Amino acid sequence: MKQGFLHEIKKNHPLFIMLLPAVILVFVMSYIPMSGLVLAFKNYRFDKGVFGSDWNGLENFRYLFSSGTGWLITKNTILYNLLNLITSQALSIILAVIISEMRARLYKRVVQSVIFFPYFVSWVIVGTFVYNIFNYETGVMNNLLTALGKEKINVYALPAVWPWIICAFNAWKWSGYNSIIYIASITGIDEQCLEAAEIDGANIFQKIWYITFPSIKPTIITMLLLQVGRILRGDFEMFYQIVGNNGQLYNATDVIDTYVFRSLQQNSNMGMTAAATFYQSVLCFVIIIIVNALVKRADPDYALF
Amino acid sequence: MNKISRFMAAAISISMTAGLLMSCGSSATKGSTTASTNQSSAVEGETDSTTAAALDLSKEVELSLYVVSDRPAGQDVLDENLNKLLKEKMNTTLKTEWIAWSEYANKYPLLFSSGEVFDMAYAATWLNFAALARKGAFKSLDELWPTYAPKNFARQSETALQQATVDGHYYCVPTLLATYSAYGPIYRTDILEGTDWDGKMETIADYETYLQYVKDNTTLEPYDVYSSGSEMDDIFMYNNGLYALKGSTNDFLWIDPAEENPKIFTYYEYDKTADFLEMMNRWNQAGYFPKSALSDTDSSKVQNGVAASTLHNIDTYQSRFIEHPEWGFKFANFVSDVSNMSFTQDAMVISNTSENPERALALYDLITNDEEVYRAFMWGIEGTSYEIKDDQLSMLDLTTYPGSSMWAARTTEFNLPTYGSPADLQTWKDSFDQAIVDGEGSQKYRSFVLDISSIETEYAACQNVHQQYWWPLELGYTDPVSGLQEYKDKMEAAGIEKVIETLQTQLNDYLTAQKG
Repeated sequence: MKQGFLHEIKKNHPLFIMLLPAVILVFVMSYIPMSGLVLAFKNYRFDKGVFGSDWNGLENFRYLFSSGTGWLITKNTILYNLLNLITSQALSIILAVIISEMRARLYKRVVQSVIFFPYFVSWVIVGTFVYNIFNYETGVMNNLLTALGKEKINVYALPAVWPWIICAFNAWKWSGYNSIIYIASITGIDEQCLEAAEIDGANIFQKIWYITFPSIKPTIITMLLLQVGRILRGDFEMFYQIVGNNGQLYNATDVIDTYVFRSLQQNSNMGMTAAATFYQSVLCFVIIIIVNALVKRADPDYALF
Repeated sequence: MNKISRFMAAAISISMTAGLLMSCGSSATKGSTTASTNQSSAVEGETDSTTAAALDLSKEVELSLYVVSDRPAGQDVLDENLNKLLKEKMNTTLKTEWIAWSEYANKYPLLFSSGEVFDMAYAATWLNFAALARKGAFKSLDELWPTYAPKNFARQSETALQQATVDGHYYCVPTLLATYSAYGPIYRTDILEGTDWDGKMETIADYETYLQYVKDNTTLEPYDVYSSGSEMDDIFMYNNGLYALKGSTNDFLWIDPAEENPKIFTYYEYDKTADFLEMMNRWNQAGYFPKSALSDTDSSKVQNGVAASTLHNIDTYQSRFIEHPEWGFKFANFVSDVSNMSFTQDAMVISNTSENPERALALYDLITNDEEVYRAFMWGIEGTSYEIKDDQLSMLDLTTYPGSSMWAARTTEFNLPTYGSPADLQTWKDSFDQAIVDGEGSQKYRSFVLDISSIETEYAACQNVHQQYWWPLELGYTDPVSGLQEYKDKMEAAGIEKVIETLQTQLNDYLTAQKG
């Protein structure tokens, strides 16, 4: 019964033509640059070029793991991303449900705009906010504490609280933006189901739990899978702008991207940079394959591929 | 299935051929340009050349120059004026490309790896000149420089020529402007008027007294520290007559130039480090700088009247003084053994891809030796962008016409102090000139360039540890004793011993070569 690929093309050629630009774009933007990954195994010289430089084995990867930092930053990157993934997605879903339940049109619009706004604020500015809230001498937090007759706290000397601060700002920045996708998905739910539930006497929480959540489950899983694919890429801007050059916080806040940036800022070694990217990409690849396989086993309909 | 794989194979082979074609493209253009230069040298006999070394100027050439800075709004007018002059003098025009401050860290190294065809670029020690040269980013100037820029070549000092040499070849044209390693507090005096402060500023202890007065009498931050770290450690070491091996601030390797055969050491191997850390801890307790300064990104606290003093060089003193004459800024030099900063801290390089390196060097020779061209290039048009008042330079509109960012082209002869400069500026510089003797003290080590290519991994790791553990330690944020021990442990884990061992061998070789 299986027919050839050519037959398939003949039958659906308008569809293939429509697909072509996207395929070309992905090929040019994502597949051709992949050849640059060979740099990770080379001692790059400007005059010899990417493909002409000499091979040097795993030498470029050594600096990532020398003195044991490699595991720490890999662990930090994964944990931060997991934390951020869970908090920002959970918040976005809750926001989306609440906004969808709102009936007053104007109020709904205003709320939506307000929570969407942080998306447009750059991390540079957020970094300044954070400093002005937490700095020891003139920060808002310490001014409040003094006004309440309490001791000042030097937050910048307490690495343990930073994962939560970063997580909070990350959620603040992204949940409004992510909630748009869930709102769209909620809007797509068949009104009849909700009406039927209402007739059956379901209250608002039961409706959300038994109708809304199951209906947006595919969206949630797709969003999670997409985010998991980026789990080894730290949001460089965020970490760099919020933490600055504060060595005291590095053990708690260093992710692969910031470590690589700092180490190579002064040496500009293309091979080492490529090695870090290679490491991130391979780990990301492995993780996404595993997660997708797990999802597929649980419910094949929700898997990405 | 078979058809699919055949289709895939075709697709892959097409893409690979495309890749090949692309990489061939650049070499093909290169070939054609060599052909055209050959052609032009054939007509050489017909025109007599005005510049030295029989450079053929019959063909008009547009050269390109990359500098690091934001492109000023009024640049077009100045370019037009300069190009008119250059066309007249040597049938050449110059196109300047600007790499913005916000993207230079990524874009600058990519310039040399992208294969883009351009002629000249600004280079500097802080842009990793030596490392890039070693990796083959620049054209060797061994023959080109003396031939096509003879005047410039003749005026370079022995030290500068050594500094331009990497692995036995000249790779850059260093600046002809002497700058000094003098470093110290730049401090406001207006805020302490009416107090009993004696105004003495000769030692670090005097500076501490000043900071305490500022703390007691004003609401300003006494000492300006922000996210790029404190430079008090550098000052302390310089003050003790030591020299940073890298030749600039924020280094972790030191030598004592007074020794016959100096041994490289790092902070925890120096006996006065404990005293220093104790002092910084005291400063932190006294509140001379914020307790979270390393996360503060505001780099202009002194200019904006938030902080009272900073530690920097004499050029910064000049700028601060001119910006706010009413604040009575003063400068003190805390470096006990002043030398010339490396002449490669501002330099010009010829790109590997340049098609007209001869013309580029001839142009550079003209800029650095012809005052008319120099002024048009560096400052623009007299009356529009700059004026000369009392032999001092006054830039008329710094936002529209801030002047060229090709700082490497400045020369001691043509450079003028900025209008409104402090009166003691020249006194300071003269005193440095008197103190510096080529081949003595720290001046002797200024030409030593680290070659970290065999220890890149360890060096990068050490740099990282230095920033992570030393910076907070230096500011008294961590405990002076246990913090130093932790710094030591981490440095050792990062491979500091191998770094020191390798560089010590290089330093010994350098000294042997100097004697011979």
